[in-house]
Amino acid sequence: MNPLKTRHMPVSGKRVLLLAALCLSPLQVPAQDSWPTYHGNYNGQRHSQLGQITQDNVHTLTLAWAFQTNQTQQIKGTPILVDGIMYVTVTDNLWAIDARTGRQLWRHRNPDNTAFHIGQRGAAIAGNLVYLTTPDAYLVALDRYSGREVWKVEIADHTRGYWSTNAPLLIRNHLIVGVSGDFDNLPGLLRSYDPQTGKLQWTFYSTPPSDLRDEASDKTYGGQMWMTGTYDPGLNLLYVGTGNPTPVLNGEARPGDNKWTGSILALNPDNGKMQWGFQVSPHDTHDWDAAEVPVLVDAPFKGRNRKLLLQASRNGYYVVLDRQTGENLLARPFAAENWSKGVDKRGQPVPDPAKDPRRAGTLVAPDESGATNYRSPAFDPATGLFIVSAADAYGIYFYKREHGEYGWAGADYTVHSRGELRALNYETGEIRWRHDLHGGAGMAGVLTTATGLTFTGDSANNALALRSRDGATLWHAGIGRVANAPITYELDGRQYMVLASGGTLFAFALPETPAH
Amino acid sequence: MQRLSGLCVLVAFLGASASCLAASADLVESGRKHFATDCGFCHGRDATGGSKGADLTRSELVARDVGGDLIGEAVRRGNADKGMPAFASMGKEELNALAAFIHSQKLLVASANGARRSVEPDDLAGGSVEAGQRYFQTNCQRCHSAAGDLAGIGSRLKGLPLLRRMLNPDFQRRSPATLTVTSPEGRRFVGALEYQDEFTVAMRDDLGVYRSWSTRTVTYAVDDPLQAHVDQLARYTDEDMHDVLAYLQSLR
Repeated sequence: MNPLKTRHMPVSGKRVLLLAALCLSPLQVPAQDSWPTYHGNYNGQRHSQLGQITQDNVHTLTLAWAFQTNQTQQIKGTPILVDGIMYVTVTDNLWAIDARTGRQLWRHRNPDNTAFHIGQRGAAIAGNLVYLTTPDAYLVALDRYSGREVWKVEIADHTRGYWSTNAPLLIRNHLIVGVSGDFDNLPGLLRSYDPQTGKLQWTFYSTPPSDLRDEASDKTYGGQMWMTGTYDPGLNLLYVGTGNPTPVLNGEARPGDNKWTGSILALNPDNGKMQWGFQVSPHDTHDWDAAEVPVLVDAPFKGRNRKLLLQASRNGYYVVLDRQTGENLLARPFAAENWSKGVDKRGQPVPDPAKDPRRAGTLVAPDESGATNYRSPAFDPATGLFIVSAADAYGIYFYKREHGEYGWAGADYTVHSRGELRALNYETGEIRWRHDLHGGAGMAGVLTTATGLTFTGDSANNALALRSRDGATLWHAGIGRVANAPITYELDGRQYMVLASGGTLFAFALPETPAH
Repeated sequence: MQRLSGLCVLVAFLGASASCLAASADLVESGRKHFATDCGFCHGRDATGGSKGADLTRSELVARDVGGDLIGEAVRRGNADKGMPAFASMGKEELNALAAFIHSQKLLVASANGARRSVEPDDLAGGSVEAGQRYFQTNCQRCHSAAGDLAGIGSRLKGLPLLRRMLNPDFQRRSPATLTVTSPEGRRFVGALEYQDEFTVAMRDDLGVYRSWSTRTVTYAVDDPLQAHVDQLARYTDEDMHDVLAYLQSLR
């Protein structure tokens, strides 16, 4: 039995054409009692059709259960949910818990290792297996009912500086997995595995490995694809953002555009071949990944229905692409930036060399953490708003020859950062409303619902529910700083909204009426 | 050899009883592993600073640390404002090993030549004192005075620490903002702003008393003198920044 059963849900949306094709796959339109993949479905909109929690009753939202990992590491990943069982991760750990109660069914621990422990974005599921990527860059497949390890394969060599935080993406019989690693000069790689056996199917390099380099090759390394991509089943294209180039702050060592770092790429998931690429940060010298979620939307653009790809990128630019061709339709800053001289005729931002890191330092917006980061945005079809956790941030950047050509190769320091949730008109990039996050750059992702609600967290201490059309606060809970993206699902006729703070997962729902 | 003798001193601090070389190597190696796992992403695998974390080999706290007394506390408590998690459950043995590793890196760096990430005071010395003074007189004198609050600043801070303090004095320390709250009965409270979100404001008054209010129940105002520094970030050219730094560095 395929546990990812499909159920059609009511679909609405006045301005925007939503998926209406027949024979939709479970990850395209998941059942409402599930959240079966990192973004909830393939399009990365993080928009739910569930309607029990509304603008009128959200103020009564109350705690249904909490699950404590008892770990120092924060929950940064998105939990996934299939058949009433939720899978939640922190680095080196995966728990299966009952989505009705938060009770633990089993826990898997990766053996101790000395790789970087920065975060874990989430698990993936295919059939009876659940998958975890590890700091030491393994992909582990576990029986999803018992937690028993079924197989384990090395994605990349962690002793060279690779690690993985990636939530794998299942596309038919391909499990797509990415890695991280910009403290070392490493080629950027994305791999596809057979979900049942763990056999490697293909490897895509965003920057070439040494045996494929020659004198004419771009000297860059990096471009790691550490975030989970999105997928258009109609076009059979996987969309993935690539990370910054390496050496990170030393641009002298790698003249040119440094393709395909800082880019949005369309790949064929069957063979890993690249269909097109768009470089959001050509020749980056500030650690600005374009790994942020490429959100797929079918909507009018300048009066014509188009298959769009929307991204709020770490470098401060909001870009709209035609996802069939990669053609740029819009590139406009959504946060403070002083590093570009505008955009060229292809729509690519043009770096100002005066803002490259220097011996005496340059003052640059945004800072290294960027105008946004891994925190997922959401797209609300009813209002046409792309809602993103943004930051106006400044950093000072240093590079001198003595810093060399390896790894970071420079130094940088944030001097100021202010977080704000921003709702952009998807067609123009214009900011429709702003919501102060009361602190530095946020860590919480965003979820919107068909009832006009936006769930997220601020930078102070709160989970928030806002009104999607204007950003007004309708509910909050002081659970601590939220560091992951909310999910929602319905079980036994009750809608849950789940997000995390620290090492604890919180499930909120409307109050239950007493049985008697 | 300087490094080894330094490690012996370090091991003495840590109270190790085995022979100096063996104990130090084991402890440092154990610390290296813990450091790589829990600290390396932010502070760099070699502790010389990373994407967010400070260069610990140049940290004032590390310089003042004896046998892990300050490092241990800093690791256990974390620093939420700066994004450092608290490792509250970390044991004494691990903390000792971490401290030993950090100190060994500090010694290593002090004796190393050549390539590493660092920003030296000389790197920042290119600005014009005169131009910086003019900029200061126009933009900074409303709040600051070269003969008053900033007298001798160039002797107290040099290079990068001065630049960071100049751009945003708030970034590494508590906000100097003042919170004024008026209760529904008309009582007025004034104190140092301790916390603010859209639902709650909190202060600590001159006597150290902590108070918080729901923002729904009171009227309040926040006066943050550092907003002028934040506003300035969008106005500085890099040349202005270097000039003002040169001027402040000249105030000895």
